[in-house]
Amino acid sequence: MRKSHKGFVFALVLVVALLLSSTSLITAQETKVLRTAYLPGDVIIDPALGTWMNEIQLVNMMYIGLTTLHETTVEIQPGFATDWSVSDDGLVYTFNLLHDVPWVRYDMGAGEVVQVTDENGNVRVVTAHDFVYGINRTLDPDTGSQYAPTLARWVVGGMEMLAGEDVELGVAALDDYTLEIRTPRPAGYLGMIYGMWMSRPHPQWAIEEYGDAWTEAGNIETYGPYTVKSWEHDVQITITKNPFWPGTDYVPPAIIDDFEFVYLEDPAMLAAFEAGELDWIPTVPLPDLDRMRVEYPDELRITSDICTYYYGFNTIIEPTDNVHMRRALSMAIDRATVVAISNGGQIPAGFFTRPDVAPGLKQEDYPDMAIWSDPEGAKAELALYFEETGTTLEDLPPITLMHNTSAAHAIIAQAVQQMWKETLGIEVQITSQDAQVFNETLRRDAPAVYRAGWCYDYPDASSFIGDVYRSVGPDSNNHTNWGPQEFFDLLDEAAVETDTAVRRDLYAQAEGWLVNEAAAIAPIYYYTTQQMTQTYVDRTYDAARLEKLNTWDINR
Amino acid sequence: MGQYFAKRLLYLFGVLIVVSVITFFIMHQVPGGPFSREKQLSPTALANLNAKYHLDDPLYKQYLDYMIDLLIPTITTGEKTFSVTDNYLINFDIPGSEDTAFRWINFGPSYRSQTRSVNDIIREQLPVSAKLGAASLLIAMVIGIPLGTMAALKKNTVYDYFSMSTAILGVSVPVIILGPLLKYILAVELGWLPTQGWGEFKHLVMPAFALGFAQSALLARLTRASLLQVLNEDYIRTARAKGLRQRQVVIVHAMKNAMIPVATVIGPLFAALITGTFVTERVFGIPGMGSYFVTSIQNRDYSVIMGTTLVFAFFIVIANFIVDLTYAWLDPRIRLS
Amino acid sequence: MSATQISEQPSTASSHVLHLGKQLADTTTRSPWIDALRRLRRNRAAIVGLIVIVVNVIAAIFAPMIAPHHYETQNILAMNSAPQWVTDVFPKMVPTGETGGYIRVNNDYILGTDSLGRDLLSRIIYGARISLSVAFVGPFFSLLVGTVFGMIAGYTGGRVDNLMMRFVDIMYAFPTLLLVILLMAFFRASFTAGDEGSIAYRLNKIDSAFGGMLFIFIGIGLTSWMDTARLARAQVLSIRQQEYIDAAISIGARDTTIIFRHVLPNILGPIVVAESMAIPRYISFEAFLSFIGLGVNPPTPSWGSMIADGSNALISFPNQAIFPALALFFVMFAFNFLGDGLRDALDPRSNKA
Repeated sequence: MRKSHKGFVFALVLVVALLLSSTSLITAQETKVLRTAYLPGDVIIDPALGTWMNEIQLVNMMYIGLTTLHETTVEIQPGFATDWSVSDDGLVYTFNLLHDVPWVRYDMGAGEVVQVTDENGNVRVVTAHDFVYGINRTLDPDTGSQYAPTLARWVVGGMEMLAGEDVELGVAALDDYTLEIRTPRPAGYLGMIYGMWMSRPHPQWAIEEYGDAWTEAGNIETYGPYTVKSWEHDVQITITKNPFWPGTDYVPPAIIDDFEFVYLEDPAMLAAFEAGELDWIPTVPLPDLDRMRVEYPDELRITSDICTYYYGFNTIIEPTDNVHMRRALSMAIDRATVVAISNGGQIPAGFFTRPDVAPGLKQEDYPDMAIWSDPEGAKAELALYFEETGTTLEDLPPITLMHNTSAAHAIIAQAVQQMWKETLGIEVQITSQDAQVFNETLRRDAPAVYRAGWCYDYPDASSFIGDVYRSVGPDSNNHTNWGPQEFFDLLDEAAVETDTAVRRDLYAQAEGWLVNEAAAIAPIYYYTTQQMTQTYVDRTYDAARLEKLNTWDINR
Repeated sequence: MGQYFAKRLLYLFGVLIVVSVITFFIMHQVPGGPFSREKQLSPTALANLNAKYHLDDPLYKQYLDYMIDLLIPTITTGEKTFSVTDNYLINFDIPGSEDTAFRWINFGPSYRSQTRSVNDIIREQLPVSAKLGAASLLIAMVIGIPLGTMAALKKNTVYDYFSMSTAILGVSVPVIILGPLLKYILAVELGWLPTQGWGEFKHLVMPAFALGFAQSALLARLTRASLLQVLNEDYIRTARAKGLRQRQVVIVHAMKNAMIPVATVIGPLFAALITGTFVTERVFGIPGMGSYFVTSIQNRDYSVIMGTTLVFAFFIVIANFIVDLTYAWLDPRIRLS
Repeated sequence: MSATQISEQPSTASSHVLHLGKQLADTTTRSPWIDALRRLRRNRAAIVGLIVIVVNVIAAIFAPMIAPHHYETQNILAMNSAPQWVTDVFPKMVPTGETGGYIRVNNDYILGTDSLGRDLLSRIIYGARISLSVAFVGPFFSLLVGTVFGMIAGYTGGRVDNLMMRFVDIMYAFPTLLLVILLMAFFRASFTAGDEGSIAYRLNKIDSAFGGMLFIFIGIGLTSWMDTARLARAQVLSIRQQEYIDAAISIGARDTTIIFRHVLPNILGPIVVAESMAIPRYISFEAFLSFIGLGVNPPTPSWGSMIADGSNALISFPNQAIFPALALFFVMFAFNFLGDGLRDALDPRSNKA
């Protein structure tokens, strides 16, 4: 009786709502909301300022780059540019842009996404001029963009502008829908760099009106499949579907209406997921994986990541200044066991550069170049060390293994400590440092062995070995103090080589030099991503971890 | 009395200045900086960022600029800007004028967030922590003081042992264990409460209990010890000898004096609780200010470190001042000097 | 940090009280202190507490003989394992083989193993070394510095009192974490420099001799005494006004005599209780320091760091956090009874009531 009564009231409400506004009823009925979480740490969604995964993911959904990456192969494909051409000398890139894509913002008062209009009431559409403004703003030293140098090196006048000089950039709008970028040097992967988040168009009028507050909900203007609906800093951010994004073959229009991101630590995320409060969690605490594998086999999915875990050696302090010692330490690391302890399906690494980035360097294809776990080989190398230095185990100077503080790093360090003790008889001391102190320590005087990790910015070896080990010194990311000029030359040659097979050989040669012959670093494993998604979510997994949220759907 | 208040206010100011000086200079001595990270910034980008936030100025100048922004009120006319560097905690239009505003206390922009100011953090996150802190302190007092009183009055009985065991349990199980356990049982298995979130009463229950339980243990033990001591005082015996009934003796005379050590602890506890607690907030996903005490230091987010420290110092001094006033009220023999 | 640690784990003391008591007894003569010891002996619960603590201390000292395994021996084949009885006690821990089972059952380890296959029981036994040291050193610092500071402030009163308490305010408000990271950076980062004469070098040597505990002690010393100081002062303020103090002053007793013979015994009760309640705070502070890299050098175990590590997998492997927490709980019980006994013993009138 009560039930039917309720039903009657509900029907009445429906009818009234229908009379008032038919459109709002339909959206209310069909609203699909996906609830998810980010690790604590508020995002920055200014495309010029974003630096980490969560931020780039949101930026990618709101500002489509000139080029995008294929979801599984991470190969370059069209984005906001429908096609592009490169001059014969490789110095001029000409992009043809999508037509009539409007700038939009979320109107808080109206509760819906609206098109942005100019002072004359005309809809503002994304043009090549917005790209020119965006790139200029990124490279403006006052903007303080952390990724500006990655772009500046590849735009004529970029480095000068970033250094505060008054120069004209090599970026021009040939007409409203044709963008030209000129580079001082050619390289095969520039199409990717011009598609990165710091190379996107910015809404000049909004930035001039709102200043620093231009990315706040209600102010921010975007054009991609999603835009910001609400944003309480450090609490939650919600993005909502932009109905005005026309959709292309490569970037289809959004299906799910809203994505709600709350900020939670990963154990809290997992609890919320288990309680059914979240539909997707982008990370799972590693210690819980065993239980997840049996309790949520359909929800859990382990996919590739974009980072490599490795140990670096300081090659100018004893005893790691000796190549035999470094090779002994590296070969004595039982990578399969480390992976088993880490328990997240990570892949033992024989090279620094991941195999899933261009040009596709696989350790199996270059067995003589890669470094392999080999206890006997390690012992032989140690014997060579003692022979060369005329010392014995007792004379060995103390070795410190330092990592930035984290439970996971501590576990791996202790496992490796044990391996070195058992295989080589070498006792090392583990020390951990607060992350920032650790960074500074590496710059100034790195310990004999230090933990490190690297994630690519764009999926190419030039963003791996070609970025980290192209230089040496306190201002670089190479803290090994190792880096002969011939090695740098080899990397430069590989960077601009256009034939993929030749390029792969060149990088294999460089990797072999770095991780095997000189053993300046000991690659340990390639990271994986552990995610849990409720089974009613119809989703894809992006190999570069920048999920294409616009292609997801919910089927309850 | 008025003079006393004025003096204490002056002290408050003095403490804040000293804390600000020490914190400012020590934090700049600690290696790292707001823009230092695992993936190194290019020297150009770093120089640009340092210039943008004036981190390349000499330290004393940075400190003076900071304190001037913080302490000197400004009166602005015209349109309000949206810059994060121009954001004030106290901000009201002067009545009777068109667009003249009185603006005071600017803690500066957060270097980590870049588009957010420390004032925003204080404005939005402090009330959350204050609410949770007040609720947990209330729970701690409501559980702890009666437990302690009961234990003292029925010393060496089952009641005593029960309340003291509860107290020890509360104090030995850290929130980092109690929190997830509570959450797993009440939220995941039983589904009675949400695991995370903020805004409604149901979100407050578990964290306030987890936090309050540990504190209640402390209060219970302290109340018991203190009350036992007071019950042996001469004046209580005098009161008993006069024939006052036990209960009256306890409530009227003993409790007041027994609360002195309790008040001593509650003061700073209150200041600490309302400015937030890192672990509880992280375990229950509560958007309070406690997290900033730790993350700002980890991130070397200088202005946030200064902001949170000064806010905490402010509450500590105020709380201790109130404690001193309470002493005088609880024990008239203590004079306010 | 001040905020966090005050709030997560409540405040304040312990058992070097005994030693302190003895020292003071030596310097001040007869009655109150000897009486106190006599009263303590008659308190059965306190004696039980004392025995538990002594047993723990012995276990810590003779750990290599008692522990079934060495604390750092890893057994990769037995990672995250648990014996049958543990899986029976925790219904969530389903052994492999059953539906939804994920726990490797291994009865060789009485309490199970951690994520590197190390024996939990052995690590708890060895961990007592660090945790008990912390449980003694924390209160020792706190009582020594805090009580003296608070008594001087409370007894002297006036301007001195005000200045001293403002200093406490400053110390309270100061972000300890910042200081601790600075210390760590300053001392620990400079070991490669190896200037043999430098303070950093020497401190570092001392630190490694202590297995990395020196910085834990420094950290606790810096953060533990303020509560005690405030408490001691409040107690002194209350006691000072009593008739017998007036009487002592009127017969011309010296300040030190009054403080040690009349004031100290009367204020120690709540302080000792508060300190005994603060021990878990010290232990969790130690865990926190381990967490930020200032704690013991791995693989040396401590209860605090075991609880912190275990809490990462609390639902999947509850034994890894709950057993060290239980060890902590028993020791807390012991310290609590002992603290209570001391309180009763130190209150000269408690028997007459």
